[in-house]
Amino acid sequence: MAGITRRRFVKSSAAAVAITAAGVRPSRPLAQTGKPYAGTRLKISQVAHAYAVGLLDRLPLFEGQTGIKVEIDQMSFPVLNQREDLELASNSGAYDVMQMIFIRSGRWIGAGWAEPLNPFIDDAKLTDKAALDVGDFVAGAMAPFRRGDTIYALPWLSDSTVVGYRTDLFEKAGYAKFPETFQALQEAAAKIHTRQTAGFVTEDNLHWIFPNWLLSYGGGFFANPPADLTPTFDTPEALKAAEMFTTMLAKYSPPGGIKLDPSIAQAIMHQGKAACFLDGMGNTQHIIDTTKTTLADRMAFTHTPSGPKGHFPQLAVHGYFINKASKNKNAAWEFIKWAAGKDQMLWSALNKGHLACTRSSVLANAQVRQKFTWRGSDLASLHLAVMKRAGEGYMVYRTVPQFPPVGDRVIIAMTAIASGQTNVADGMKSLQKDAEGILEKAGVKINRRG
Amino acid sequence: MSNERGRRRWTVAATTLFILIVLCPVLFIVQMSVRSGLDAFRMPPVLVFRPTVANYVDLVESKFVRSLMNSTVTAVSTTILAMLLGVPAGYAFSRARFRAQRIASLWTLITRMAPPIAFGIPFFLIYKDLGLIDTRIGLVVIYLTFNLSLVIWMMRAFFDSVPRSLEEAAYIDGAGIATAFVKIALPLAAPGLATTAIFTFLLAWNDFFYSLLLTRSEAVTAPVAIVNFMNYESWEWGKVAAAATMIMLPVVALSVVVRKYIVRGLTAGALKG
Repeated sequence: MAGITRRRFVKSSAAAVAITAAGVRPSRPLAQTGKPYAGTRLKISQVAHAYAVGLLDRLPLFEGQTGIKVEIDQMSFPVLNQREDLELASNSGAYDVMQMIFIRSGRWIGAGWAEPLNPFIDDAKLTDKAALDVGDFVAGAMAPFRRGDTIYALPWLSDSTVVGYRTDLFEKAGYAKFPETFQALQEAAAKIHTRQTAGFVTEDNLHWIFPNWLLSYGGGFFANPPADLTPTFDTPEALKAAEMFTTMLAKYSPPGGIKLDPSIAQAIMHQGKAACFLDGMGNTQHIIDTTKTTLADRMAFTHTPSGPKGHFPQLAVHGYFINKASKNKNAAWEFIKWAAGKDQMLWSALNKGHLACTRSSVLANAQVRQKFTWRGSDLASLHLAVMKRAGEGYMVYRTVPQFPPVGDRVIIAMTAIASGQTNVADGMKSLQKDAEGILEKAGVKINRRG
Repeated sequence: MSNERGRRRWTVAATTLFILIVLCPVLFIVQMSVRSGLDAFRMPPVLVFRPTVANYVDLVESKFVRSLMNSTVTAVSTTILAMLLGVPAGYAFSRARFRAQRIASLWTLITRMAPPIAFGIPFFLIYKDLGLIDTRIGLVVIYLTFNLSLVIWMMRAFFDSVPRSLEEAAYIDGAGIATAFVKIALPLAAPGLATTAIFTFLLAWNDFFYSLLLTRSEAVTAPVAIVNFMNYESWEWGKVAAAATMIMLPVVALSVVVRKYIVRGLTAGALKG
C-alpha cells in the first residue's frame, strides 16, 4: 500500500480548501443578506401595458431587495398570443414568468404548462400569507385561474366591458341618461346616427363584444360549460342576440365598423365621430385622454345595457404564472408576489393610470376612487361591480380549452352577417355546424342538435 | 409649339398628381410622426401645426434603436452572403451545361414553393435545439435560405443576357473561367447585381414572420418592434409613425443611390436580339 506522498498531500489539501471555499464563500453573504436568489436572472413575458411600465420603473427596488435580475419582454397582444403559445408548446423554458391569457388558461393549465402556486403560497418560508392576501383579489378575477382549490396564476389585469359615451349627443337626442337596455340603445343609436357621427362603435374582437348581447338575451356559447360543451348558436335566443348585435354593427357603426381595432375605435371617439363606445375598461377609459382629444369634457361612463334575461357584462383577466419549464421557480414566485402585490398595484393605479386592477383594496382606495371619477362616473366602482357580477360564474365559457377556435369562428359569423354576406338564420346555422365540428375534432362529446 | 408646351404642362401636372396619390400613405405617416397626440386625430384635421420631434426622441431613447440595428446587421449580412454565394451560382447555371441542370436549378427554388408558415414550426424547433433562437446569426441563416434562390434565378437571367462571345474571346486570349467571370461577365451584369442586391436587402429588411417567430428580445428586428408599440390599451400612434418613417428612410436612401442601376437592371434583356 503506497503511503501518502508530499505531492498528493499538497494536492488534496489544495482541493479541500478550494471545495470548502466554493461551498462556503457564496452562501455566507446570501445567508447574511437574506437574498437566497441573488444572481438569478429571470425572464418575463407580458403584453405592452402601462402596468409593465410601472414594473420597470420600480424594478430597481425589487432587484435591490432580492438580488434577482429581471428582464421584462413587453410585446403587443397578437405577438404575445403567438409567442407564449409556441414557447409553452415547445417546452423551451425561455421565460420564467409568463402572462396567463385567460381564454388560453384552459389549454395551458390542462396541458400542465403552468406550475400550481399553492405549494409556494402555503410555504411559510416562501410566502407571508397576510402580506400576499390572496383573498384581496376579486373573486371574478381569480376564477379563471383556479381549478378547484388549486391556483395557477395571480391576476394583475381585469378588463370589464363598460360604455363610454357622449353626454351631449345623447341629451340632444332626448336621453338624460344612457339607455338601460340593448333595445333602447338601438333606438337611441337610430336617432343619433348620421353620416358624420355614428350611433355606436366597438372593437373588432367580436367574440368578446357579442357575448354582452348573447348572454343578456338568454343565449350562450355552450349548453352547460364546462360539463356540456354542446354549442348553442342556433337557439332562438342566440338568433335574436345576433340580429340585435349585427344591426348595431351594420346600421349604426362608422364605415368599416365591423373591423375596427380598439385603438382606431378610440380614435373615432377622440374625433367625435361616434356617440358611444362599448369595450373593455382598459380601452374605454382612454377616450378621455386629454392629450388626444378636446371632447373629454363631454364624455361619461356607465355599465353595459341589459337584455330580457339580465345584465351580463364581460370580464377578461390576465395574470402571472410560473412556466413549468422554468429552472428558477422560487425566484419566479418572488417576482410574482411583488408584481401582483398590493403595493405595486396601488402604485400603478395612482401613478400609471392602471384602473383595470384586480385587488378590491386598490379599487376601494379613496385616492384611486377620486383619481378615476370623471364627470360623476366612478370608474373604479363600475369596474368592481362588473368583476363581482362576473364572479357569479357565467364567464366560465371563455376558459374551456376549446374556446379560442370557437371564438374565432364566432367572429367570422358576426362579420359575415353584419356585412350582409349571409342572413342571421343561415349565418348562425353555419356557425353551429362548424362549432360542432371544431369540438368533435377536439375530442369533445357533444349532443348534436336537430 | 405652344400646343406642345401646353401638352407638356398637362403631362407634368398629371404626373405630379399621380405621384402625390401614390405617395399619399407615405406622406401621411411622415406628417403624423411629427404631430402631437392631440393634433393627430383632431377633427376637422389641422393642416397647419407646430411640428414636434418628441416621437423620434422617445424612439431613440427606447429599445427601438437596437431593433433597427438588428435589422441593419441582418439585412446587410444576408445581402452580402446571398450575393457572394448566389451570383457565382447564377453564373454557373447560366453558362455550364450538365445533365441535371434543369432539375438542379428547379431544386434551388424548393424553399420558395410553400408559404413561410409551412416552414415556421420546423425551423423553430430546430433553432431551439441549436440555440439559434433570438440570435442575429439565426435570422441571417433563415433569410439566406430563402433569398439565395432569388439571387440565383435573377442573376442567371442577367448573365443569360450577356453575350457568351465576349467571354469566348477572353478564353482565346488565355483567360480562365474565373477571370472571364470577374472581369467580363460581372461588370456587364452590374445593373442586375444592383437590382438583385436591393431586392434581397428589401426582403430581409421587411421580413416580419421569421423575426416574429424566431426572436424574443435580443434579435428583434424593426418590423416586429414597431408592432410592440401597439399597447394593450391604446396604440402609440406617434411612435408607430416615427418608427415607420425610420424604417423607410434607409430603403429610400439606398434606392435613390442605385436607382440608375435598378432601371437598367429592370429593363435589361428587353431589347435582346
